[in-house]
Amino acid sequence: MRLDIFLPFLRKPKKGTPPPIELPIYRAAKAVLPQPLFADRATARPGLFRKWLKRLGPSWLSAPVRRISQTACFLLFLWLLFYVCYPYHARPAREWRSFSPVAIDASGLVTVDCPTTSAADDELRGGVVHVSDESAADEAGRYVGPFEIVSFGREQLLLKPTADVPPERIEELHFALGGPWTLSEQPPGAWPSHYADSLARKEFIHAESLLIIDPLVAISTAIAARTWVWSLAFAGGILLAAVFVPRGFCGYICPLGSLIDLFDWAIGRRVTRFRVADDGWWVHIKYYLLTAVLLCSMMGVLVSGYVAAIPVITRGFVFLADPFQVAAARGWHNVPPLNAGHFVSIALFFAVLGLGFLKPRFWCKYVCPSGAVFSVGNLLRATERKVESSCIHCNKCVEICPFDAIKPDFTTRGTDCTFCQTCGGVCPVHAIKFVERWNRVELKVENDPPTHETRLGRRGFVSLLAGSAAAVVGAAGMSAATRTFGARLGDAARPLPIRPPGSVPEREFLELCIRCGECFKACPNNVLQPLGFQQGLEGLWTPAVHADWAGCESSCNACTQVCPTGAIRAIPLEEKKVARIGLAIVDQATCLPHAGREACQLCVDECNAAGYRAIEFIRVGTEVDELGLPIEGSGFVAPLVRDDLCVGCGLCQTRCYGINVAEKGLLNRSAIVVEAGEGKEDRLMSGSYLALREAEKKAREKASESSGAADSDYLPDFLK
Amino acid sequence: MNRWTTHLCWLIAALLSAVAAGRLSAAEIEFLSGKKVQGTVLSKDETSVKVQTDVGGKSVTLTYPLKTIHSVTINGKRHVINERTEEGGGKATVARGKNAASAGPDGAPRTPAEIQALIAQAGRQPPEWFKDTPLNFPKTLDLSWPDSKPGAWDNQKNVGQWIWDIVNPNPNRWRDGVRLMHHLLTVHKDNVENRNHVMAELGRMYFELLEDYPRAAFWYQQAGIGKGSEFERTKNGAHLAECYWRLGSRSMAVDLLKRMPVTYEAIKLWGDLGETKKCVELATQQIPHARFPSNCYLMIGDAYRIAGDYPKAAAAYQKALKEAEKPEHVREEKLRIRAQAALEALKLSEGIDLAKIEDGTYTGSSLGYEGQLRVEVRVDDHRITSVRVTQHKEKQFYSSLEDTPRKIIARQGIRGVDGTSGATITSEAIINATAKALVGRQ
Repeated sequence: MRLDIFLPFLRKPKKGTPPPIELPIYRAAKAVLPQPLFADRATARPGLFRKWLKRLGPSWLSAPVRRISQTACFLLFLWLLFYVCYPYHARPAREWRSFSPVAIDASGLVTVDCPTTSAADDELRGGVVHVSDESAADEAGRYVGPFEIVSFGREQLLLKPTADVPPERIEELHFALGGPWTLSEQPPGAWPSHYADSLARKEFIHAESLLIIDPLVAISTAIAARTWVWSLAFAGGILLAAVFVPRGFCGYICPLGSLIDLFDWAIGRRVTRFRVADDGWWVHIKYYLLTAVLLCSMMGVLVSGYVAAIPVITRGFVFLADPFQVAAARGWHNVPPLNAGHFVSIALFFAVLGLGFLKPRFWCKYVCPSGAVFSVGNLLRATERKVESSCIHCNKCVEICPFDAIKPDFTTRGTDCTFCQTCGGVCPVHAIKFVERWNRVELKVENDPPTHETRLGRRGFVSLLAGSAAAVVGAAGMSAATRTFGARLGDAARPLPIRPPGSVPEREFLELCIRCGECFKACPNNVLQPLGFQQGLEGLWTPAVHADWAGCESSCNACTQVCPTGAIRAIPLEEKKVARIGLAIVDQATCLPHAGREACQLCVDECNAAGYRAIEFIRVGTEVDELGLPIEGSGFVAPLVRDDLCVGCGLCQTRCYGINVAEKGLLNRSAIVVEAGEGKEDRLMSGSYLALREAEKKAREKASESSGAADSDYLPDFLK
Repeated sequence: MNRWTTHLCWLIAALLSAVAAGRLSAAEIEFLSGKKVQGTVLSKDETSVKVQTDVGGKSVTLTYPLKTIHSVTINGKRHVINERTEEGGGKATVARGKNAASAGPDGAPRTPAEIQALIAQAGRQPPEWFKDTPLNFPKTLDLSWPDSKPGAWDNQKNVGQWIWDIVNPNPNRWRDGVRLMHHLLTVHKDNVENRNHVMAELGRMYFELLEDYPRAAFWYQQAGIGKGSEFERTKNGAHLAECYWRLGSRSMAVDLLKRMPVTYEAIKLWGDLGETKKCVELATQQIPHARFPSNCYLMIGDAYRIAGDYPKAAAAYQKALKEAEKPEHVREEKLRIRAQAALEALKLSEGIDLAKIEDGTYTGSSLGYEGQLRVEVRVDDHRITSVRVTQHKEKQFYSSLEDTPRKIIARQGIRGVDGTSGATITSEAIINATAKALVGRQ
């Protein structure tokens, strides 16, 4: 079974040697596409395909399938991050006002005049609209029902009531059409869902797809949190695939690898003064790093996010490129300021790329712990790169191998080979084949030239001891440091960060959050921002709500949908809108009306506009006259937060900060601040938030039922 | 086409379509004589209507001439065929409430006798939300109010202060408050003075909070308002008069108001009734000893605005603003804001007169969601040719930055430009900024 997909080296075939194998797909393509594209194997004349590929580079020429796959996956990564996760495609449900109904016929078809010079003529083009009558006396009578646009034009529309309009309502329309009418995409009073819908529409491939197939992400979070994470299933899938295409993730898919390739080609190869030799003490770092990371996980400290491949590139792009995308699209004032944590991450990202100065793909070859997982998995591989005895020891394969997977005797380092097949296309004698592992046909002699490698790898036993010791010590040290300078969750004096809606309890959150940065990217208005060292070392790069900057949008549940590990549970919008992330606390000493300074109801208006309606008024500072009666208009109405309704979205704080602090300078900090903590937020590992709210409501009703007073009639006895 | 024929056409259309749809609704027909009949409308023509009704257990078909019918009620909606003649109209020009049941379903005038009958009938029936609203109030409230001792202000103990501080400002609590007040009526049913106090407060709550004018009038009457009760000395007298006016009799309102003490609400009602001279006279008398003279000027301005005399209204609002800016009132920012808003509303309601604006570029700014928003408006040849947002700090603006200016240009003004949904504050800021840029130039 030959699994060769490389483009074989083009040379005139020696008499007697069999021609290189042509795959069926190659034969099919040759039959359909024009001839000049293909090489003439008999005369070794390259066709147009080879000429173009050669322009791109030698690895393109020898393994174009692999390069195409890499490109596709890299573009997929960019598309998922910068298109799917870009929140600002969302548009709220539209409504169009001031339509005048003029006539209704026997079948219920209503003729409606469009308002003069309105934008509606371009937008109303059929479909169903919800009709509301602006002249209705009360809220209940306002909604007429859903109508279908039968015909549209600049001047008039014809609307037909759908089956959902009650017949009595249509009869009333015959008597009084009412109007002016408002036409809207959603029924009036419906909870907005445009951000959630926009993401759902774009997400036919999940935004976190590449993150969930990184096996280190899945394994380390599952161990750290001692729980099943869904990405384990996907990791299992990719590891199963790796049985047949060993370490194929690194060769064909990993976008960090592709980025490193780009960096090495554009910049790395021009700087040669840092180059290191082919062999050195660093060649097994990845295994010790993997061991250290897994040991830390076992001690409940998650550091894999610092070094796992896909989180590294995701975070790198989110911190570096996202500001420019947002600035270009919406202005620099929309880009939140950077903190120390940002700089550490950016430095780490550049360090990873900078390893390319030492050797191309140094990271992939020697450092990447995700790659180490695959390397360990390669021990179970079913296929392998094999070299036949026709090998002429020309060394071309060793020079081009991107993963340093070819030993000095030109046979394969099974743990490192990614099946990229770049070597196959450069072998002038076609001695390299990719076959099942137990294939022993015509193999080359091993250890010729001598490799100086033992069964334990290149550096032998001492190196193994030293490395293992370093791993254990490093892990222990890292865990101890992180715990000591960590979140200190038991310390009541430490203010807790406000986590995204649907987050699991804090200890598990710190163990599940891979610090990838997807939630920051998907969050509209950058409500979620990475912590620096505010929560110690444990909180670095974890998401927290920054309510001074922006408030959690009521129509959005993007962060819940893009989290790859389930640190933020994937809950639907109905659940998210009742999941509490904190409680707004009014500082009565500084709040303008409470302090008697001036009237202000920004937070109340904001909360009502968002739909939560969790802030009520209380009149404060009422003055009484000589008779003890309150004076009309004295005092102020001040905000009072209903703790049974507030979800802690922070919109109130944003408004108070934006106007009273930043714009008018009346306060130094917002007078209403969202706080997290016991009793102020809901953190469930599993289960429904709606059910939790129902249970609380029942408990409250039971408590108030015993308020003692018996129900009374409307009319008292003396009037009956 | 006169009104009679229009109603006729609607009725014909409705009945024909109802017949065509094969569904005839139960209708209630009220005659000019006051008689009422319930039945199913079978058919109709230009002069009469055929109704199937139950008489003595038997189903009969009767024909009535249309000119004897006052109104037809189908599915709770009442449609007047023939108006009853009555002195004066009762239409409220000042939109204070949106409850149609209170202003009369058709705004038609009623005789005093009719109004009293309506009050007696509606007042005795609980509102439909009553049975679904459980008693809900803090356990700390002292239900001996209005007997409770005054003491320090404690809105968790004193019922009146609870109503004032917590119930009044929050619409979602109004029904709970009214329910509590009904409960107190039962608690104090044997003490005449207390129960009158409670009934007066009930009347106020139905009037001010729920805008349920028949019930407000009922409870006010039960408390003795209009018959020399002590509770007339506050605004309750004026409120009862307003109830009569809204229910359809201006004469009843005027008769009562003449006998009520002069309060702020009474003066305002004179203005709303259209008695501009009387309102201005009374308000001017209040100015020397009013706590906030600015309020008096605002009332005068409102009265002139209702009367359509815009220059005098503007002058009164200007005086209100000057009063509010005086040092002794500068802490009462609400006064200044109200005066300014009244002036701006007056200016904006007159619209922008492009014919008076010279060619040029004008800027205006207004408070957006996150901060000041600046707009640049270009006028050429007395047309708005461009509206651009030049500076803003908005974060969540969707398409309003292009949308709203486009609408303003399309309408050549700000009248009727509606906001971009989801970005209302930003759209309004753009509209206000544009208005400021242009209005000042006239």
